[in-house]
Amino acid sequence: MTVTNQHDLPASGAAGLAGVAAREATKGRRVRRFSADLSAVGEPALWAFGGALALGIILIAGFLAMIAWNGFTTFWPKPIEKVELVDGELIAGVPTRGGAYRPGDSTLAQLDDDTRARIAENEGFASRTLYQTANFDLYGDDFRWVSDFEIAGITTPEDFHYIERQQWGVFIGRITGLEVDGQPVEVTQDRLQREQRDARARFNEIRRLERRDIGGINHLIERERLAMRRAVIRHGEDSAQAQATIAEGTARIEELQAEFAELQARVNDIRAEDRRTRITFEEVNGQQVETELSQVVRFFPANALSLPDKVGIYLSRWWEFVSAEPREANTQGGVLPAIFGTVAMTLLMVIFVAPFGVITALYLREYAKQGRLTSIVRISVNNLAGVPSIVYGVFGLGFFAYAMGGTIDQLFYPEALPNPTFGKGGILWASLTLALLTVPVVIVASEEALQAVPRSMREGSLACGASKWQTIRYIVLPKAMPGIMTGMILAMARGAGEVAPLMLVGVVKLAPALPIDGFAPFIHLDRSFMHLGFHIFDVGFQSRNSEAGIPMVFVTTVLLLTLIITMNATAIYVRNRLKRKYASGEF
Amino acid sequence: MATAPTVATAQRSDRIDPTVYHIKKGGQGSALDIRDFNLWYGENQALYDNTIDVQKGMVTALIGPSGCGKSTLLRSLNRMNDLVDGLRISGQVMVDGFDIYGPGVDVIALRKRMGMVFQKPNPFAMSIYDNVTYPLRVDGVTKKSILDETVERALRSAALWDEAKDRLHTSALGMSGGQQQRLCIARGIASDPEVLLMDEPCSALDPIATAKIENLIADLRGQYTIVIVTHSMSQAARVSDNTAFMYLGRIVEYGDTGTVFTNPKVPRTNDYVTGRFG
Repeated sequence: MTVTNQHDLPASGAAGLAGVAAREATKGRRVRRFSADLSAVGEPALWAFGGALALGIILIAGFLAMIAWNGFTTFWPKPIEKVELVDGELIAGVPTRGGAYRPGDSTLAQLDDDTRARIAENEGFASRTLYQTANFDLYGDDFRWVSDFEIAGITTPEDFHYIERQQWGVFIGRITGLEVDGQPVEVTQDRLQREQRDARARFNEIRRLERRDIGGINHLIERERLAMRRAVIRHGEDSAQAQATIAEGTARIEELQAEFAELQARVNDIRAEDRRTRITFEEVNGQQVETELSQVVRFFPANALSLPDKVGIYLSRWWEFVSAEPREANTQGGVLPAIFGTVAMTLLMVIFVAPFGVITALYLREYAKQGRLTSIVRISVNNLAGVPSIVYGVFGLGFFAYAMGGTIDQLFYPEALPNPTFGKGGILWASLTLALLTVPVVIVASEEALQAVPRSMREGSLACGASKWQTIRYIVLPKAMPGIMTGMILAMARGAGEVAPLMLVGVVKLAPALPIDGFAPFIHLDRSFMHLGFHIFDVGFQSRNSEAGIPMVFVTTVLLLTLIITMNATAIYVRNRLKRKYASGEF
Repeated sequence: MATAPTVATAQRSDRIDPTVYHIKKGGQGSALDIRDFNLWYGENQALYDNTIDVQKGMVTALIGPSGCGKSTLLRSLNRMNDLVDGLRISGQVMVDGFDIYGPGVDVIALRKRMGMVFQKPNPFAMSIYDNVTYPLRVDGVTKKSILDETVERALRSAALWDEAKDRLHTSALGMSGGQQQRLCIARGIASDPEVLLMDEPCSALDPIATAKIENLIADLRGQYTIVIVTHSMSQAARVSDNTAFMYLGRIVEYGDTGTVFTNPKVPRTNDYVTGRFG
């Protein structure tokens, strides 16, 4: 039975509708989707939700893509351009970026009519390029803007080298002379590379001797000195014990100083030898610079590289970045101490926050009477997550470093005073501060995980004659563990990326020593450390040349993100294994 | 369609006639002696003057409409209600001559003497072996020979040994619902309790699994004293020796199952068992 009836319709539409009716009779009627009022239909809302999600994804993906693109292209070797300017000046540099700008009136006044007309035609805009001219020791600057109308010609000479130096940053120019053992030799690529490898080996030997061996002796001398002072403080200056310790210590220090002198002599020998192998560079205008070959970290003819050469340089720069110490005020070299500091601090933080957060959550959820007081405590804990992190930094400095650390110094390290041992920022206080910062996340997540454990499980355990603690220990905690792990992962991600409070409680621009080394007690929780997040801030905004720092900001960001993702992925993997274990019980 | 006979509705506070008793005695005396037991959740009284005498080695069923207090009474027997805030009681529950609500009673020790099986199977997320031995392990038993022996005995008693013996160390959560419930029964009897409390053990199971559990109850009869709460009157009729009919927190009639179902002494019991209300 169809709804339409031919006899009720006006004659004009009857024939067409008859066809519709016939179709309906054979194929069924089309169902209208929007039969209800618009406000009752969910679709517009669906579009809004989907749109919001898409926008979020685009923003995040764009952000990550920008960081990845900048981060991963920084170390790729780029060609050197030799630019001849209209006024005859010569510049050699690596073009880094460019763009349109509006030249000032005074600049325009100096230009010829032709150029001025072209700029006017362009609505007053001209384009320019930023060249990394390097040679800071000669020019006093690393970068230079060159406007297109200034350029007379560009060439890419093959004999120009990009030379990364231990000091003074990059040099761009030709290599004109090489002196081995005081004798000038012919400059060939092969010879250069061989000699440079040897020179770097000498350089590293000197560094190893100074850092490890001489550093070790200094450490021992300091220990003897402190032992003597401790004896004096404890027993009084005239006591027999103090006198004995002082006599013993003085003898030992003399021995150590002899060793020190011996090592120093060896260093001097190597250094003297090193000074006899020299290299001479010449910049584009003919000025020459002479230095020890060992100062050259890496050099390559930027315009004469094959693809494998470029890949090799790219990889060697990455390797240096993740395995070496920084040089040139952090804008060159590696970030190994920062990677180490970040990981060590995050792990320490987890060690502090995990038991503390879980125990608190256990008490709040399982033992505390659920009343007004518990609610207040819970709300306060949640609100702690909203306190600005710098406030935690101030608290950490005041309470942990000065109050607690100061007390520890007075009780246990009086001999070192007035130099603070624990009474200043250090990795212990930094991780404790971050633990405090992230503990609300862990508490909230753990509480939710505990709450989600079904009542029937607890009752089943209690009915078996288990005590409350046994029930929590064997039934509730294992079941809640994946959820607790989720909280830990969130806390870790937050803690590893936090910078502001760390600046107050122990992060430094350049840490002289890692928190873990070969001297007893091996783990030095009182030491300052470097951190990737702070490193980003430092190279980007605190270095002498922010232009040189920008690429490092991206590279360090890529590294920090990779590090956090790796740590989180590990934790997620562990959590999923736990989840599987407790869901299906693969024992 | 004939009009249904009107059933007198009653309020909790109404006075109801005293319980009518006609139980079948088991000859071994009573396992649990509940005397004038009242229970309040905060201000609400849930149980009124419950007095029943659970016979040792027999199956006692608690039936009644939803909310009548069957589960509350059952959970009072191993003090599972202690977990509820604001719980108050009066009266006594005597086990072997001592009152389980008396001063100085060790609740954990008490629960070890009472196995309990819940409505929904609640095996722990552990292996079958660990599930069955859980009551012993929390008691500090670590000797493997004892644990092995217990697992076999309990699983055999729960008619699960043949199905489970080859997968003792796989997860209990991989079993079917019926198997899980029998595992819970095995867990309940692992520490060899005197009484087995069952709170609607078949309500989440299909008919075949239900039949298996009912057979199991029949097998366990004599070995253990069983108190079972059930919504299914036919199940109560099939498995129990004595039946208590509860209504609004009171025990209306407590007696021999055959009599309760075929020839109840109280009209309200008759209305319930014939399906006129409930």
